[in-house]
Amino acid sequence: MSAYAPAGLERTEMARPKTIVEACRILAQAVRAKKTASLLAGGTDVIVDRHLMPVAKAHAIDLIVDVTGVEELVRISERDVGGERHLVFGGGVTYWQLRTDARVTGTIPMLDAMAKDVGAVQIQTRGTLAGNIATASPAADGVPALMALDGKVTLVKDGGARTVPLDQFFLAYRKTVLAPDELIAEIAVRVPKDGARVRWRKVGTRLAQAISKVALASVVEEEGGVITRARFGMASVAAVPHPLAGVRALVEGKSTKSLDRAAIDAAIDREIKPIDDVRSTGPYRLHVAKALVWRALAP
Amino acid sequence: MIRFKVNGAARETDAPPLARLLDVLRVPLGLTGTKEGCGEGECGACSVLLDGVPVNSCLVAVGQCEGRDIVTVEGLAHGEELTPLQRAFVEDGGAQCGICTPGMLVAAEALLRRNTRPTDDDIRDAIAGNLCRCTGYQRIVDSIQAAAAAVRAKGSRA
Repeated sequence: MSAYAPAGLERTEMARPKTIVEACRILAQAVRAKKTASLLAGGTDVIVDRHLMPVAKAHAIDLIVDVTGVEELVRISERDVGGERHLVFGGGVTYWQLRTDARVTGTIPMLDAMAKDVGAVQIQTRGTLAGNIATASPAADGVPALMALDGKVTLVKDGGARTVPLDQFFLAYRKTVLAPDELIAEIAVRVPKDGARVRWRKVGTRLAQAISKVALASVVEEEGGVITRARFGMASVAAVPHPLAGVRALVEGKSTKSLDRAAIDAAIDREIKPIDDVRSTGPYRLHVAKALVWRALAP
Repeated sequence: MIRFKVNGAARETDAPPLARLLDVLRVPLGLTGTKEGCGEGECGACSVLLDGVPVNSCLVAVGQCEGRDIVTVEGLAHGEELTPLQRAFVEDGGAQCGICTPGMLVAAEALLRRNTRPTDDDIRDAIAGNLCRCTGYQRIVDSIQAAAAAVRAKGSRA
């Protein structure tokens, strides 16, 4: 009997590709061979789930594809898309990179603020953006921030690639468009215009190591007092991270000074269905959600 | 066989690649200074440095450590000589029951290696992932400040 829990651990093989192409080939082979395969980066979900899996439910993962050796996945770069400046993050970029890379902290400080609120340093040094997206937790911190920045993910597989806007990536609770032979190679975000109101607010039980009761990332751009662009990403208020498209439609083209708070609150009532759970209650979450949206819109 | 460095020495293990680094350190390698608290990345008792970066060893698969450099609490002191952090934890009451202490020392070591002039907020950020149920944290913050001052005075490493 193995000294390592849980039983059956030794049946899992580990592949350690060095490139995205190699990782995709390994995934494609595993799918063809009908093996269960899982990508592994920081392990903040995979290792815990595997270790704490109840014996009765334990199923062996045939293959773990460790992507921490893929250098391409930890790159941060800049790209011009249609005349607009974008930052592009490899899927393996960690929260710690967001906190310490001057291109990020100097360009989009909101990402730095968000990353500081994720777990604590030992989680930030391991957790990755692609991991946060792929696990599709409704309480994700990274996803709402990337969503508010018009995040688009590039999904790559052996012999193909596609780009999906983040607000179309999540299908239902813990369900995404990601196929078993695909990996999240990069996430591109639009750099907000100078003077934009770019905000992050996470409401939790304590400052560190908390999972949100509600969190909101927002980008509001104005010209001559009129809102020209509003983008949101809200966590822990629906089955998936939510873009609040109804609120966006209601406020774009309106003057910041003449926003109708009652109408915005009503739009939030229609869009989100927060639940009671161990961290908070539905009514409290709804109350906080409305307050956060109003603060995001305020000058 | 997975090969890596632990506290400066070449080590290897035949553990399954998905085994947790924490279990490999504690059982076959006998480095029981690294503690298991929660096993899910909340408490920081199992903190080690992986290529100089603080991580929870309960979240690291040992197969990911091939060729990498790991430092545990046992690797901080220089022989019998305590580091400024270890001395300060002893002298200023940073250690009480001791279960969080190895992780605290590792997290604080990582901080002082990048910043020898931390504010109290910097320290609280650096140890936010290390839970302590004895000290109320203030003595730990004070210990880390005392160690930072000692490091600055000596111009030595943490």
